[in-house]
Amino acid sequence: MASAAQRRIKAISYAKYGYMFIAPFFLVYCFFQIWPLIYTFILSFKGNQSSYADFVGLENYSTILFGKGSSAGAQATQQEFLKALGNTFILWFGNFIPQILLSLLLAVWFTDAKVKLPGKGFFKIVMYMPNIITAASVAALYVNLFGDSKYYFINGTLMNLGMEEPIKFISDPVVSKIMVMYIQTWLWFGNTMIMLMSGIMGINPSLFEAADIDGANSSQQFFKITLPLLQPIMVYTLVTSMIGGLQMFDLPYLYHNGANFSRDLETVAVYIYYSFNKGTVAQANYGYAGAASIIIFIITAILGSITFYMNRDKDAIAKKKQRKKAEKQMKAKMKQGGLTL
Amino acid sequence: MSKLTRTLALLATLAMASSAFVACGGGNTESTGSTAETTAAADGSSEEAADTTAADADSEGGEEQSAGGEITLPSDDDTLTVVCWTDADLANMFDQFSGHAKYQNCGDNGGDASTKYATYLNSGDDVDLFVAEAGWILNYINDDSFSAPLSDLGITADDYKDAYQYTVEIGTDNNGVLKGASWQAAAGGYAYNADLAEQYLGVTSPEEMQAKIDSWDKFEATAAELKEASDGKVTIAATIGGLWQAFSTAKNAAWVDGTTIKTDVAKEFTDMVKGYVDNGYVDPTVEQWSTDWTNVGLNGETLGYFYSTWCLGEGAQLEQNGGNAGNWRIVRGPQDFFWGGSWLCVSPNCNTADQAADFIRQFTVNADTMEEYALYSGDFVNNKVAMDKIVAEGSNSNPLLGGQDQFAVLADVAAGIKMSDSISKYDQSLKDTFLKTLKDNINKDTDAILDAFTSQALADNPDLSAE
Amino acid sequence: MSMKQQYGQPKDNYHAKIIAKSTGIFIVCVILTLLCLVPIYILIVNSTHAHLDLAQNPSRFWFGKSLAANFKTLMNDLPADAGKSAKRVAAQYSSAFNVGRGYLNSLIIAGCTTGLTVFFSALTAYGLVVYDFKLNSAAYTFIIGVMMIPVQVSSAGFVAFMYNLKLINNFIPLIVPAIAAPAVIFFMVSYMKSSFPLDIVEASRIDGCGEFRTFLTIALPMMKPAIAVQAIFAFVANWNNYYTQNMILKNEKLATVPIMVSKVLGFDKNIDNGVNFLCVTLSILPIVVVYFILSKFIIAGVALGGVKE
Repeated sequence: MASAAQRRIKAISYAKYGYMFIAPFFLVYCFFQIWPLIYTFILSFKGNQSSYADFVGLENYSTILFGKGSSAGAQATQQEFLKALGNTFILWFGNFIPQILLSLLLAVWFTDAKVKLPGKGFFKIVMYMPNIITAASVAALYVNLFGDSKYYFINGTLMNLGMEEPIKFISDPVVSKIMVMYIQTWLWFGNTMIMLMSGIMGINPSLFEAADIDGANSSQQFFKITLPLLQPIMVYTLVTSMIGGLQMFDLPYLYHNGANFSRDLETVAVYIYYSFNKGTVAQANYGYAGAASIIIFIITAILGSITFYMNRDKDAIAKKKQRKKAEKQMKAKMKQGGLTL
Repeated sequence: MSKLTRTLALLATLAMASSAFVACGGGNTESTGSTAETTAAADGSSEEAADTTAADADSEGGEEQSAGGEITLPSDDDTLTVVCWTDADLANMFDQFSGHAKYQNCGDNGGDASTKYATYLNSGDDVDLFVAEAGWILNYINDDSFSAPLSDLGITADDYKDAYQYTVEIGTDNNGVLKGASWQAAAGGYAYNADLAEQYLGVTSPEEMQAKIDSWDKFEATAAELKEASDGKVTIAATIGGLWQAFSTAKNAAWVDGTTIKTDVAKEFTDMVKGYVDNGYVDPTVEQWSTDWTNVGLNGETLGYFYSTWCLGEGAQLEQNGGNAGNWRIVRGPQDFFWGGSWLCVSPNCNTADQAADFIRQFTVNADTMEEYALYSGDFVNNKVAMDKIVAEGSNSNPLLGGQDQFAVLADVAAGIKMSDSISKYDQSLKDTFLKTLKDNINKDTDAILDAFTSQALADNPDLSAE
Repeated sequence: MSMKQQYGQPKDNYHAKIIAKSTGIFIVCVILTLLCLVPIYILIVNSTHAHLDLAQNPSRFWFGKSLAANFKTLMNDLPADAGKSAKRVAAQYSSAFNVGRGYLNSLIIAGCTTGLTVFFSALTAYGLVVYDFKLNSAAYTFIIGVMMIPVQVSSAGFVAFMYNLKLINNFIPLIVPAIAAPAVIFFMVSYMKSSFPLDIVEASRIDGCGEFRTFLTIALPMMKPAIAVQAIFAFVANWNNYYTQNMILKNEKLATVPIMVSKVLGFDKNIDNGVNFLCVTLSILPIVVVYFILSKFIIAGVALGGVKE
């Protein structure tokens, strides 16, 4: 049956094309990602400020993690880094929880066939909108509206209405954190909602029908069917959001007034950036920045491998399904063939 | 090795860039790709050109400059590029400078600018001169990869006989090489709203005002009187930051002694300002350099500001924060002080040497042109002859100050500035950290505030140690 | 009769319940919609007021008359008799927030990165799906493995490296790395595995078509849906990227929209709040308008992709 051409093609090895096709990715990735990562790793063993050229071994790590180092500020540096790490988790947690709850609620509502909701499409579009706005602009928007004094929109309005003292939305350590959590939620809830919606819509509708017939009410359906079946996508959202949280930079960095970023909102990403981006080499703390980066890398690697295994499972499941489907089709074909024969 | 990596990298990126055209073929990509390549090419050629013409300039450059020494840097570019972080001064200068010049604004407030400078100056982009601030100039003039001696432009310390000496001392690097020239002597004073002063304090002239605030004790007493009279609506100073400038600089105390952080003055100030805040003499929430700063003045919620000379010209802070009604006056205040100061430094990559030398001479050496500049910009220029002449002739009258001559008020202050022993390369960062810590913790006790500050400063600067 | 009543009531109740629930949900949705839209509305309203008006009363709910004046300040298009102060403000804003140049720079970067990302990701995905070679699964595992590494982790080294290469103030470090986008490759591989018939490659080989041409003329068009989705995300992500751009671009001429916004946010003098608001408005306007035009498609894309960048 195979033609001459087909046979000839079979004989050719196409492996080299495979390498050619993936080569650009690997070249660029190694050049712009792997090498900088190695470079960062090297930097983490070098000194800071005036001793930037010295090799200091693991001192940067021991300084930022345990407060033990030769500099007088070793303990202060440790506190600073741990504060940044703490802020990162506080800010992440404080936006993830409301975000996932709100998104889940909306996703369930929007996919509930029994709820008659006019303008559903419009709501979805508007709720997703914040996600496409530049984070820098979002920070500028909120800073300009929520400024600390009566000269800004929100405080001005509230004080026109009779409030006595302005609320320090920007400089208060607690209020500013809440604001950043709110803005992060504002930015991401639409996105999460739509992802969860697609997850819910992927659930076999016959399950809900069966539950309806058995007389399960909507909260029962939610806890017994939707939530368990949504678990993989929820875990995926959790881990991606966590890794996203570790990178949180634009908003905490730009949400401030005056010349410098707010220390109360200092995340690890801000700490890293600020440490190495302080002017001349002799002013900057490349060593601490490197060490902090590598620590974040390790945390990310742990989180990433969780998703990795999840994704692999998903793939494997999909493959299994496909195989089964193919087998079925084959059987069906054979049956058909058998019939025709 | 670095050369090899660099070549390889450029080859790789060029290959990528060219494969990029094939890839998307969109109009966009093609246009950037080609500009990227042409700029790369242009860079290369200009570097070559710089090398060859450097030799030419050596041979002929000296003859043209009869006034000073020999210009050893090349002059093969026709546009003078000045890197700055604020365009306020340069805009005034360019109004007067006849050469062809442009500025590149690194566009960040004074404190942050130094972080961008290092990157910008190393980027290979065109830069002939750059403006450095007292708070961080030492980082740049003590590093030959950032700055070249002024003598490369044929300008020497002898040219600055009439300058305020502290500017020359600060502009000189650790090896005694003059690397920065300042156009201003940044003396400061207390500018107050004359209408409010009359209304609440019954003061009708600057002399009376000065008499009411010529020491910190009297200043505080007047603050109390003002608070009483205005029912707490008007503060005596707009910001804590302004008070800090007035309080700290004349004490001539360094932030850093060797590598040790000094907090004596900070402690004194913290004690004083906490009292001010408790009594409502200053509003700690008003952020310097922000809308608040402007609005408290425009809305008559503060009696006055501590200003440096660069705040007093048309279009500068005095007008922004006070309006242009001319109802402001300036006095020396409780203590002579100074604030900031900017130096012109030469980039080693300067390729517009003739114009750069002209520019520096026009604004930092030549008494006549500096006098013109002082009258135009309102800035107190760095030349005693020029300033004495203006004051003596009474040729300056500032409409924002109701015709008052700010130079007459500030002349003695400028003569008394002693900054050179007390600056360090950490100043800007330490000052910013201190004021931020102070504002954020104003309700805590002094020791707690200073501990918080020291701890933050040490975390930021592993080079330093605490007392 | 009584039977009917008995059965009828719960049904009415049920309807009433659904209506009540729907109304409740509707109200919540309206509130959320307002929370999304009102800040943007206030922003636009404020950009039509003059600085001095806002200084007197920042609480503005309706449009003012100064939009044109603010715009002229931003464009540095003042009457000749304008005061020095106004001129300084205009000079500062127009050089830091040069709208046209910002849009152009952002467009160049976002356009090029998008093109490179989708093309090379499709290419890599094609290579991984179509060809069988020794390191195939190792390569794919690697790509999945590095998918989650945040840029911050290598940024200290990245900047130091670009510094050494003299690639600061250059678009290359912002554009070329887009060739390597692991997450996009991952998406494309999944897409191809599920909907790309490998037989077609063989068929085209029989027709004598070269491998690269097969990819360009046959595979690429078939991957259009996946490419479109990823192109949109790549474009938005790069248009909005502040972190990397801010590290590399220090020259005003090269500034992109996010950098310009952050500059305006950092102004410490010559502040004009009306113009400030106008700048922020202009920075979000194009992307919001494009979003509303393409919104249905984008939302479908999010549901499809689920790739959070």
